[in-house]
Amino acid sequence: MKTGYHPLVKRLLDGELTLAGLPPELRAEGEEALRLVGAADRTPVALSAAVEERVMAVVRRHAASPVNRAWRWLNTPRDVEVRLRVRPWTLWAGALAAAAGLALLLGRPGATPVTPERGPGTQARLATRDSMLVRFVLYAPSARRVAVAGTFNQWDRSAAPLVPAGTSGVWTTTLALPIGQHQYAFVVDGARWVVDPAAPAVDDGFGRRNSVVAVTAQGTHL
Amino acid sequence: MGVLLGLEGEATDAEVVGAVLAGDVERYAVLVRRYRDRYARYASRMLGSRDVAEDAVQDALVRAFDRLADCREPDKFAGWLFLILRNRCYAEQRRRQRQERPLDSSDELFAAPDRPDGEYEQVERAHALERALQHLTPEQREVFVLKHTEGLAYEEIAGVTGATVASLKMRMHRAYDRLRELMKEHR
Repeated sequence: MKTGYHPLVKRLLDGELTLAGLPPELRAEGEEALRLVGAADRTPVALSAAVEERVMAVVRRHAASPVNRAWRWLNTPRDVEVRLRVRPWTLWAGALAAAAGLALLLGRPGATPVTPERGPGTQARLATRDSMLVRFVLYAPSARRVAVAGTFNQWDRSAAPLVPAGTSGVWTTTLALPIGQHQYAFVVDGARWVVDPAAPAVDDGFGRRNSVVAVTAQGTHL
Repeated sequence: MGVLLGLEGEATDAEVVGAVLAGDVERYAVLVRRYRDRYARYASRMLGSRDVAEDAVQDALVRAFDRLADCREPDKFAGWLFLILRNRCYAEQRRRQRQERPLDSSDELFAAPDRPDGEYEQVERAHALERALQHLTPEQREVFVLKHTEGLAYEEIAGVTGATVASLKMRMHRAYDRLRELMKEHR
């Protein structure tokens, strides 16, 4: 025996049709369905005022914990402004010294650039002894702008924009990431968080997914 | 009636979150007051008990404080907190299923809503609907609660849950059929 509502009645309940818009033979069913949905209790629910006291008591205890304080201090993003007052010749000298240091570093035996195994979403090559250049790639033909945000840039949505590769819909950027495991996601048009389809993802604890890339001296591991 | 999202009071959520992260822990009480009751109805209807809902809201607020530095968009704290509470509600339901304790809507939460006309039939129907909701799947119950109790449009529900409008409608339509069957004595 059929017990479900007629599809048109369901559209009535969804607010897409009015009762008068139903065929006459469905109006009784429509009225019955509206009575059912109308029985939903929309009365506001007020919790005990003690909830605030209990939450704040726990919050104060957690905030006072040295471990929690240290973790929060380390994990809180901060804006850092650095202002330098220099003579122009020192910039040139600094640039030359940096270039010389880099050349020395790259000239060390065993530190030659490598082309390790890579996944379709990221590619890596050696940047320094402690970091690798990782290439992020996303196919997003309808996006106006794309960025990558993650644990390596404090989830800053504007810190690492990707650039379009012609008109192919492919967006790329290359970042120097420290050796270690990083979580990240792409930010499309400044608002939509998108996981990397070419990388594994983990739950971030809040019902969303983050992509994961493991950077080792041998390359990236997706 | 977009009751799940939005701001009230003077300071924005982002300003309060910034102050708390900067060390002013007491400012967190602003967010607790702002969202304590706003999400209570959702949690109550999802869990079938005001007492269990109170624990869930409390846990969600504490967890949100502990992870506040992970809140990527402080101006969207409300939606972020809702996701934490939603996960907490689902976890509670899974825990109850493991313990084979079916959700029951028999506690004081569902005392008859005040009806000026006092019609006994309407009150009975409201009771029956609350009991029937606990026999839906959590996903069906959630979409029904968000649409018909919280008054959100499908697009808004999609925004807070991450599901597509098409899948939400499918869940909702299955819920309508199941509710009709469960409520056959109260038509």
